[in-house]
Amino acid sequence: MHGNTTTGDAIRTVSGDSFNSVVLQAAGPVTVEFMSYSCAHCRAVESALQQVALRVTPEQQICRVNVAQEPTLAAQYGVHGTPTLVAFMNGAEVGRVEGPPPDVASLLQAVTLPFQA
Amino acid sequence: MGARHTAMVNTLARPMLLFNDECGVCRHIAGWVSAAAQGHGKDSPLDVQAIGEAPQALHALNPALNIWDAYDTVHLLLPDGSMRLGGEAVAEVLRRLPATRWFAWCFAIRLFGWQPFQQVLNLAYTILADVRPIFGCESCGTPSAWVRPFVWVSTKTKAMFRPDKRLTTKAAHFTPR
Repeated sequence: MHGNTTTGDAIRTVSGDSFNSVVLQAAGPVTVEFMSYSCAHCRAVESALQQVALRVTPEQQICRVNVAQEPTLAAQYGVHGTPTLVAFMNGAEVGRVEGPPPDVASLLQAVTLPFQA
Repeated sequence: MGARHTAMVNTLARPMLLFNDECGVCRHIAGWVSAAAQGHGKDSPLDVQAIGEAPQALHALNPALNIWDAYDTVHLLLPDGSMRLGGEAVAEVLRRLPATRWFAWCFAIRLFGWQPFQQVLNLAYTILADVRPIFGCESCGTPSAWVRPFVWVSTKTKAMFRPDKRLTTKAAHFTPR
């Protein structure tokens, strides 16, 4: 189980301060959703992504970065729209999906496929 | 839309209108409400506050308040711990503003158990919420089907003067790096 179980949130929110330790230095694969709470498509994706976060292997993490609060991180990773899923392995980006369809199957594929390549 | 929720904890001194500060239309309306409310100084009938980006902060205001819902529909938090949403929130704001309370009583009128003026207001709110992308909502996402042709024309027109780098189309393909 990942994320914050006390609030029922399976997706961990990462800030600029914790991005290095949580994402780049992670032992396993990490998918970061660059999102914003004011983004309607992010809202559409949220429920399915929560389900995906509960389905992935325990080694894999799914995190979120709020681009409204972390514009520097968004700029650093070339995020021009939300939601954008960026896959990291051993500190390096291995793939990304921009504006994924808001269904569990598509998101599960988007979250797992980069690490199978 | 229009549902009422009641929470156990709420320490608000005045009603608080939450608005989407990423949306130009919402900012404009909130600015008008704020000006109408603040004209009365300490006796201001309500506070106007941007939703912000902190789910916990909203949760502290009202445990039943979800940040995703707050961005989806206008919320008015009341000191008794209840919330008004959508058209009901608008009606409650109009009832509390001195400049508009003279006509806002009509929203409470019931005819055979039906509130005709409130229903019209609810419909007006729904339409306005749908058409916000035409008037400059930067965060409303994919517009409703009936609004898309108007948004297309609006976007093309605006792009002639100001390029918009926001993602407006879904690109679902996987891009290996």
